[in-house]
Amino acid sequence: MHGPVAEVLQFIDLTTYNILFLFIVGFIGGLVSGFIGSGGAFVLTPGMMSLGVPGTVAVASNMCHKFPKALVGAIKRYKYGQVDIKLGLIMGIFAEIGVQVGIMIQQYILKVYGQAGSNLYVSFIFVLVLVIVGGYVMRDAVQMKNATGITPSSPALAKRLQQIEIWPMLTFKTAGLRISMWFLVPVALATGMLAATIAVGGFIGVPGLMYIIGATSIVASASELVIAFVMGLGGTLIWAYYGTVDIRLVMIILAGSLFGVQLGAIGTTYVKEYMIKYVMATIMLIVAVSRFFAIPKYLNELQVTALADSSVALMTQISFYVMCFALLTGATIILVNLFKARSQEKAAAVPAPAGG
Amino acid sequence: MEPKKMEKIQEHIPAETTSADLGVQVKKISYILVVTRNGHMSEPVMEYAVNVADRLQYNIIAAHINTLPFYRDGGRRSGLFASAMQESALLFREKAEARGVQVKHIGDAGKIGNVVKRLCSSEKRIEFIVIDQGIRKEEVVSQSPVPVFSVIYTEKKAGLRNKATHYKSVEKGAIRMSITSKKRHLRNCFTFGILTAAVYAAVFLNQELVMAYFTKGGIYALLPVAVVFMVSYAHGNFTSSFWSALGIEGSKSTTTKPADIRKKATDVPVVKKDVRPRAEVNV
Repeated sequence: MHGPVAEVLQFIDLTTYNILFLFIVGFIGGLVSGFIGSGGAFVLTPGMMSLGVPGTVAVASNMCHKFPKALVGAIKRYKYGQVDIKLGLIMGIFAEIGVQVGIMIQQYILKVYGQAGSNLYVSFIFVLVLVIVGGYVMRDAVQMKNATGITPSSPALAKRLQQIEIWPMLTFKTAGLRISMWFLVPVALATGMLAATIAVGGFIGVPGLMYIIGATSIVASASELVIAFVMGLGGTLIWAYYGTVDIRLVMIILAGSLFGVQLGAIGTTYVKEYMIKYVMATIMLIVAVSRFFAIPKYLNELQVTALADSSVALMTQISFYVMCFALLTGATIILVNLFKARSQEKAAAVPAPAGG
Repeated sequence: MEPKKMEKIQEHIPAETTSADLGVQVKKISYILVVTRNGHMSEPVMEYAVNVADRLQYNIIAAHINTLPFYRDGGRRSGLFASAMQESALLFREKAEARGVQVKHIGDAGKIGNVVKRLCSSEKRIEFIVIDQGIRKEEVVSQSPVPVFSVIYTEKKAGLRNKATHYKSVEKGAIRMSITSKKRHLRNCFTFGILTAAVYAAVFLNQELVMAYFTKGGIYALLPVAVVFMVSYAHGNFTSSFWSALGIEGSKSTTTKPADIRKKATDVPVVKKDVRPRAEVNV
C-alpha cells in the first residue's frame, strides 16, 4: 500500500441504481465535454460521493475517466480538422505544472484554515471565476448571435498580444495564429490551477484560448480536449500510484460518456460559432448559482453564520440539483441544435439530387 | 479556347516532351495518358486532355485505376467502381468525339505508380501523362518515363458549365465510392461491440481479483491506466460506429471545410481571371 489514504479506503458495492446513475451522468457529461471541451466532471465527483464513494476515490475515478474521454473526443474532432495538437500539447504540459501549483495552494489553505476554509476557498473561486468568465462569454455569444453578416474578427486583446514579438514565438497552423509563448503559459497555468481547484480547467482554458490567444471557439474547445487528456493522464498516474482509482466506476462512467463525447463532437460540426460559447456560458452561470448555495454550509462550519442544520442540508441538496440542472440544460441545447441542424441540412440536400 | 492561353500551354508541353519524337509524330499517332483513381474522372481534366489532344493531334488513353481491388466488402466497391467507370468513359468519349479525338479506355487495378509504368511500356507512344484529382503527383512521377501533369481548375469553372448538377454528380460518385457505407459501420459496430463487451466482462467477472491488484498502487498504477486505454480504443470505436450506423455523422458542409481552405490556399492563385483548367508540370 502506498501512503496513508489507501488503508482507509472503502470501495462501494455496485447496485443497478448506481450503475444506471453513473452511466447516465457519464453520458450527459460526455456530451457536454465533446461539445465545449470540458465540463461534466463537476457533477460526477459530488454524484459519486452521494452514492457513498469516499471523496478521494471519487476524485481519482473522475480523473481517470476524464482522460480517455478527452482522448476519444480529441480524436473525433481531429478528424473534423478542429484540433490544434501542438497548441493542446504545449498548453497541456504547462497546465500540468499549473495543477501542481494549484495543489500546493490548496494544501497551504488546508493547513492554515482547515477543511471548511479550504471548501469555502474552492466555492469562492468557483463562483468568482464562473460568474466573471461565464458572464463575459455569454455577453460575447449574444453579441455574436445578434451581429448580422459574418464577423470573424478575433478579439482585440488577442490581436494586440499576437503583434507583440517576444522570443519564443509559436506558430499554430490549425488555429491559424502566431503568438509568443509568454502569453500562452499564463493561460495554461491558470487552466491547470483551476483544474486542481474546481476539477474543470476548461472553464478558464477555453475562454483563455478564445479571448487571450485568439483561437476560434471551435478550435479552442477541441484543443481543450488535448489539454484535458494531458492533465488527466498525469493526474490519474498520481492517483493510481496511491491506489485510489476504482476501475469499475471508471468503466461504467466511460461506457456512457464515450457515447456522449462522440455525439457532442458531431454536434460541433453543425452549429454556429456562438453556440459553443452560449452553451458554455449557460452551464458556467448555472453552476455558479449552484456553488452559491453550497457556501452557507462552509460559513456555518467556520462559525461565521449560524443557520439551522436543516436549511443548510436543504441548500446543499439544492446545490447538487442545480448542478445537475446545469448539465441537463447544456445537453438539451446541444441535442436540440444538433437534430435541428441535421434535419435542416437534410431538407436542403433533398432538392439537389433531383436536379442532378 | 482563346488562342492566348493555348500558346502558353504549347510552349510548355512540346518543349518537355516531344523533342525526340517530333518527326515520327506525323506518321504514328501519339497518346496522352489520362489517369484517375476515382470512379468518375473529373470533367475539367477530361476537357483539358481533349483540348490539348485536339490541338496536338494526339489521341487519348483514359485509364481508370482501381487502387483497392481487394477491398473486403464482398466486391461492392469494385462493382461500384466498374459502373462509375463506364459512365465516366462514356462521357469522356462523347466529349472527345465532338472534337474529333479518339479515346481508348482502359480499366486496371493496382498501385498507381506500377500501373502507369506498365501502361507506358505496353502502350506505345505515350507522350505525357495527365493525372486526375486524388492522385499524388510524386507517386506517378517516380515511376513514369514521361512528364506528368496535374490539372488545376477552379470550382467556378466547373460550376459554370452545368450549374451545380455537374459537381453534385461527381460528388455523389465520390461519396458512393467512398468506404463509409452503413454496412461497414454496422460491421465495425459489431466487432468493436464484442471487443468492448469482452473487456468489460473480463473486469466485472473478476471484480475481486481486479480490485485487489488495481488498488495496490505503485507500479500497479499502470494497470488501470492500461485498461482505460483499452476501453477508449474498443468502446471509442464502438460508439463512433454506433452513431454512424444510426446515420448520425458530422455535417458534410463543415467537415469538408478545412480541406477546402487548404486546397484554396495552396492550389489556386488568389488573383486570377482565367478560370480554364491548366496543367502543372512535374518539375
